Amino acid sequence: MLLRLLPYIKATGLILFLGFACLPLVQMTMISFIATLPQPGTEVGSLTFGNYANILSDPNLRAAFGNSIAYVLINICITVPIAIPAAYAFSRMSFLGDKHLFFAFIAFRITPPVVLTLPIFQLFSALGIVNSVFGIALAHCLFNLPISIWILQGFISAIPKEQDETAFLDGYSRPRFIWTFLLPQIAPGIAVTAFFCFMFSWVEVVFARILTTTNGKPISMAINALFGFQTDIGLVMAVTVASMIPGAVLVFSMRHHLSRGFKVGKI
Amino acid sequence: MKERNNTGWLFVLPAALLLGLVGLIPLITVINYSFFEIFILDRRFWVGTEWYNEIISSGRFWASFGRSTLFSTFVLAIQIPLGIAIALCIPKRQFWVGLALAGIALPLLVPWNMIPSLWLSLLNPDTGIIGRIMAAFGWSAEWKMSAVQTWAVIIIMDTWHWTSLVVILCYSALTTIPASYYQAAAIDGASPWQVFRHIQLPKLHYVLLMAVLLRFMDSFMIYTEAFPINAGGPDGATMFLAVDLGEEIKAFNYGPSAARSVLYFLIVLTVAWLFTKAQNKIDAPEAPRAT
Repeated sequence: MLLRLLPYIKATGLILFLGFACLPLVQMTMISFIATLPQPGTEVGSLTFGNYANILSDPNLRAAFGNSIAYVLINICITVPIAIPAAYAFSRMSFLGDKHLFFAFIAFRITPPVVLTLPIFQLFSALGIVNSVFGIALAHCLFNLPISIWILQGFISAIPKEQDETAFLDGYSRPRFIWTFLLPQIAPGIAVTAFFCFMFSWVEVVFARILTTTNGKPISMAINALFGFQTDIGLVMAVTVASMIPGAVLVFSMRHHLSRGFKVGKI
Repeated sequence: MKERNNTGWLFVLPAALLLGLVGLIPLITVINYSFFEIFILDRRFWVGTEWYNEIISSGRFWASFGRSTLFSTFVLAIQIPLGIAIALCIPKRQFWVGLALAGIALPLLVPWNMIPSLWLSLLNPDTGIIGRIMAAFGWSAEWKMSAVQTWAVIIIMDTWHWTSLVVILCYSALTTIPASYYQAAAIDGASPWQVFRHIQLPKLHYVLLMAVLLRFMDSFMIYTEAFPINAGGPDGATMFLAVDLGEEIKAFNYGPSAARSVLYFLIVLTVAWLFTKAQNKIDAPEAPRAT
């Protein structure tokens, strides 16, 4: 009896969870279409697209979107090329201290950002990269690089070792082997890795806050700046809705990679 | 077997250099600061282990340590089983998978500093959906006053935010199971529980390791989400380690906050290390594998 009901139980469970996941977002979207501050032409409490129009007309908000996209892209462009050889080495080679080094890398992923905020701010101001998107992109490598190595290592380990050996017998050098054979095979893995970098980096606020005191603010900080004596909650919610669109599009286009499954290696 | 070859270092070098720059140098700086009384960053006095003595002998540190541990326990006990269950519920048909995954991932895409605002507006008795429903039933939530209710709000909020990550990780691992495993199980007449216990759960092994570690660490350092809800209140009941530390940094007590950071880092590191030790013990019996 219970067995025949199982598909229905599963569907109900999934729908309940989706409802739970979307409830705050429904509330947010509703408020984003309501005028919450008096503005010429619209009454407070009336339905309006004005909040979204205000995003477009506010140069600070437009710049914030540009900054967020820029630092996430820079971060991915730094993280992925550095993570691939490291993941390859951890997956295929045994070298002095490899296990300890891998654990040390993971340790940086689990280091609370609050712990390192002050010295990172000092270091980056000495390097002159405070208030720039590059600074945030670099700081986010702290947690994105270890997680990328971890994910990519799983993907590389899933590829049979014999293939490497055949290629080396054919006279391929290791870097060339990685470029011509390995990369095309782990392409889904690279996409998943880039997606995780995006996900952790786009929404992060601790480093983004301390590294952008005057300039180069990402969306999260631009939202913070909207809170004040009279907060236009409608605009705040509209900016939040808009900030989620790139991620939602990305998840949807990534669905085949995510649902094809990926392996995670051991520590 | 892996080949023994120290050229592996060359491949890891770029990653090690980058993490050395953004991770190791700041970490050493923090350790250095923790032994000084600092007025301005150029003027400081060596105080030895004074801050450490002070912190370890103070009840405040251990109380916030206890609160963080309890919070992480709740988070893991709720989010890991829930995440696995929801991952098992995701349908097989391609189109629905895409929609379900996108819907599930949405909470992960909200900027962290907006999450408390979202939940506060949801709980607002005048304008929020949940707040109105509760008001209609005549339930008044005194969650700013009651420690239990503040905890409940933070735990529900964290569950909302992060269970999706567990779901996505578990779902990805589940899809790597070849269909032949399920066919064999069907022929043997295995019950759904047996299929889960002997086919699905073993495949989730490493993914769960990752999920538990990430969820433990991130919940242990919860700051951005917990602080705006009730500023550590009521009466310090939600003063978690990171919230406490954040207050200290805001007050410009660099020396003590550096010492606190170091202790904090050591705790996290120890837990992660114990975790991998335990993991290796579980792995050990099945060591002679042909991989």
